[in-house]
Amino acid sequence: MRKFDRLTCEATFRRLDDYLDRELTPEEMVRVREHLETCEGCAQEFAFEASILRAVRNRLPRLAAPPELLARISRALRADPGEGGDG
Amino acid sequence: MVDLPDETADTLAPDQGSGESIDAFEGMLSAVLGAAYTTALRLTGNTADAEDLVQEAALNAFRGFSSFEVGTNFKAWYFRILTNCFFSKHRQARRRPTTVDFDDTPDLYLFARSIESGLTAEIPDAAAALIEKLGTERVMEAMRELSEEYRIVCTLYFGEDFSYHEIADIIGCPVGTVRSRLHRGRKMLQKALWDVALESGIVDALGEYGEGS
Repeated sequence: MRKFDRLTCEATFRRLDDYLDRELTPEEMVRVREHLETCEGCAQEFAFEASILRAVRNRLPRLAAPPELLARISRALRADPGEGGDG
Repeated sequence: MVDLPDETADTLAPDQGSGESIDAFEGMLSAVLGAAYTTALRLTGNTADAEDLVQEAALNAFRGFSSFEVGTNFKAWYFRILTNCFFSKHRQARRRPTTVDFDDTPDLYLFARSIESGLTAEIPDAAAALIEKLGTERVMEAMRELSEEYRIVCTLYFGEDFSYHEIADIIGCPVGTVRSRLHRGRKMLQKALWDVALESGIVDALGEYGEGS
């Protein structure tokens, strides 16, 4: 029965990062989710950490490379004879 | 998230030095150039060094392009060369030592500080509100406070959404090392974010916002 296999708060917390990063096995994800559904304290902590992750990612937008960078690299590639090749 | 490598691919890139190989290389590079430049900028901290780093990595990558297997993960392959270039060029020339002692940063640092300061009680999503108020430049400033080994892992993780395995492949270390560095890096980043928020008065401003709305 699942109820005899519930994670403790401590065991759940040890899985926090892996849970948020989807690095747990599907079975482990379920076990963590089960705990969070019944433990308000852990659920609050997990929600806070997840929110930080999302917010930091949203604050680090991907920039476009300067327009001339590819052209500069292209010129350098064609000027460089490509030493170190296997030919 | 980048595509996972195709383990079955065994086609090598065109021979080097030919116009065909340069065109093929440029085609792949242009698809990841924005991500590479963004990561380089976060690692070096300025546009000139970032452009030089991307170019140096491109030249190095092209020299080894004959060993690249078409169909595998070009982005991870190129990022591995990019980070190697960064390590070799900038390791001795770090702009400034990290002044904040992160070693004893406890778990849930930002959560605990938010509760202590009353933010969590006043604002529904205090974490998002705090980081939104900090803005991009201050978040990047906090990221730059991390020591190099943590900054590079956090940059790849937060900035490019690479998986643990991909980051391990890029920086050439075991997955377990990535996991532990990310765990500590996240705590360090939370402390750095809080310090920046305090220094810039963001915490007080958020408190007033919470009370007034």
